Amino acid sequence: MKPAHYAVPEIPDSLLYRGFEAIVGGYWTKAAYRSWRRRKPLGRIDRDLHVRVSRVDQEGDDVKAIWFEREDPSTGSGRRGSADLPVWDPGAHVDVVLPSGRLRQYSLNSDPDDLSAYRISVRLIEPTAGGGGGSVEAHYLGVGDRLVLKGPRNAFPFVDSPAGYLFVAGGIGITPILPMLRDVVRRGVPYEFVYTGRSRDTMPFLEEIRTIVGDHEVQLWPDDEFGTPDAAKIISMAPEGAALYCCGPMPMIDAIRAQIPDPQIDRLHYERFSPPPVLGGRPFRVRLEGSGSEVEVGAEESALTAVRRIRPAQAYSCQQGFCGTCRVRVLEGEVEHRDHALAEYEREGHMILCVSRARGTVVIDG
Amino acid sequence: MSKIGKESKESRRGHEPAKVALHPRNVKFDWSRLPLVWIPGEVFASHYINVLHLLLPEGERWFVKVFSEILPLIEDDQLREDVIGFIGQEGVHAAAHQEVQDYFTDNGLDVRPFAAEIEALFRKILGERDLTGRAKEEWLIERAAIIAGLEHLTAVLGNWVLNSPALDEAGADETMLDLLRWHGAEEVEHRNVAYDVFQHVDGRYLRRVRSYLLGGTALLVLWWRGAQYLMDHDPTPLESAQPGQAKRSKASLLKLIDAERRGLVPGVVRIGWATWKFFLPGYDPSKEGSTAQAVSYLAKSPAALRADAIAESR
Repeated sequence: MKPAHYAVPEIPDSLLYRGFEAIVGGYWTKAAYRSWRRRKPLGRIDRDLHVRVSRVDQEGDDVKAIWFEREDPSTGSGRRGSADLPVWDPGAHVDVVLPSGRLRQYSLNSDPDDLSAYRISVRLIEPTAGGGGGSVEAHYLGVGDRLVLKGPRNAFPFVDSPAGYLFVAGGIGITPILPMLRDVVRRGVPYEFVYTGRSRDTMPFLEEIRTIVGDHEVQLWPDDEFGTPDAAKIISMAPEGAALYCCGPMPMIDAIRAQIPDPQIDRLHYERFSPPPVLGGRPFRVRLEGSGSEVEVGAEESALTAVRRIRPAQAYSCQQGFCGTCRVRVLEGEVEHRDHALAEYEREGHMILCVSRARGTVVIDG
Repeated sequence: MSKIGKESKESRRGHEPAKVALHPRNVKFDWSRLPLVWIPGEVFASHYINVLHLLLPEGERWFVKVFSEILPLIEDDQLREDVIGFIGQEGVHAAAHQEVQDYFTDNGLDVRPFAAEIEALFRKILGERDLTGRAKEEWLIERAAIIAGLEHLTAVLGNWVLNSPALDEAGADETMLDLLRWHGAEEVEHRNVAYDVFQHVDGRYLRRVRSYLLGGTALLVLWWRGAQYLMDHDPTPLESAQPGQAKRSKASLLKLIDAERRGLVPGVVRIGWATWKFFLPGYDPSKEGSTAQAVSYLAKSPAALRADAIAESR
């Protein structure tokens, strides 16, 4: 078993490695150095999409559907029909920069073949119910408001499945599913659709779904009529060998994930939300050895979030504790490991910032 | 493989999704029953691919390190997001192949001496080399250029393994096939990232080709050396090999040509062809494989589904 800080082996004393070292040290690093001369300067690439709100619809009790059109930032005027928005595929989302500067991701749910406008839908979640304030702000948007979008990007890619699809949407999770429904109806691929929610009033787009699917029977299962949906029953609706596309609240997705593998389902696609909430966290402090700066980690934030405030270049990726990118050396302190990235023998002396926590003050490299 | 681009928007949809946001995926493999020769009766082909378990863990950790360092130079928010996803995927790949490497050593095929060489190569020879200032920055960019070349090859290999029915027909170990295909699918999924990084920070043809020649040559030399090492040190009793392979065999070019002809490994032809394509001035990484196929595999990889189920039962 390797110790946590094993020494890097010396360069082997063989013709091959002496050769590598001679080439890299004698030629390559020097050639690289000379390359700076005609290298183009690094430059900022601006990908901001300037849009204005062109329409706002009320959908059900507490959902607003907000439409955006492109706007030329230089003239400040919307040029209807002349400027298409970038193409996107079902499952794509945009980052919306709200007037306060908050950044929120929302799925696009208009028709991908109509690029004159984008539509997103936002369910109002009051801060007292655990919302972060973004949805409240989005609900205050009115026609004519200007803002910036980033993207679109696709974290829920919709791919071909000749055997058909099972779509599962919970509440506002309908948003990425809508364009997928449009697409399968157009292509004539077999599909089934289960849509759950607290009650019919809280399930947006019921009318629009009816228009899209025509006579096809969809499974509308509001909790107040059908009780809490059962994952096994949902999966039993699938066409044989289907691809399952699922979007909704975390408990619903988790319940479906736990049922797979299932002979009925060939593939499981679900929208990944990261990072997961911090559960049962207590505040602690992180000190960076070297710079000596210190930061307080709040009970509901990760050490990564806190460390990035004082060290913006801190590397990270999955934010769920398995990829190991944000691993740091721990010089002092009591760490409570919550990751899946470190082997037992690495835990002494290392920490995964995105999920692990500590008691008191922990001192890390840097 | 579907041809994209020329067709209408309508018919492309559902086939090749665009602008996919990259995320690392958690995986869980069970190696407890892995045979060292995991393509039954194919000692050479198995070990030729097993070399990946020796090169990739250290190599991909090096990718993570170089790309983490280059991140501050990237002034394009979308590319930054791509790189963050890329780094995470590479980190999970390294850990997954490391498990196999450790399994080899624990099961009588001690690969530590070879792994130590690879470690010295990536951490010392291709490490930071105590450079400062401009020399440090250019060496960082040079290494990013090497990674762009190597990532072309990993995309080619990933595309190959996703379309390698001969391995299924030969009865290859399912867990190993899943590791290779999950990894290959993510390589196909993120095949543009390293090239885009190089284009962003430099983009000159000659630098791209120079670093490919040096990086690719080193890779081929070590790949072959690794195959020889594994063949020489495999403790599997010879009886388990099929009749006709009477004595402990050595790696040979003829075996490679034969195994490639039978579709069991990517060999001289595929890598030569890939190299040719990379040298064309109009090289476009997105043509190497299909995102739709990669995403489809990732949505059914047993290792990914198992990791999901374990995360759920926690």
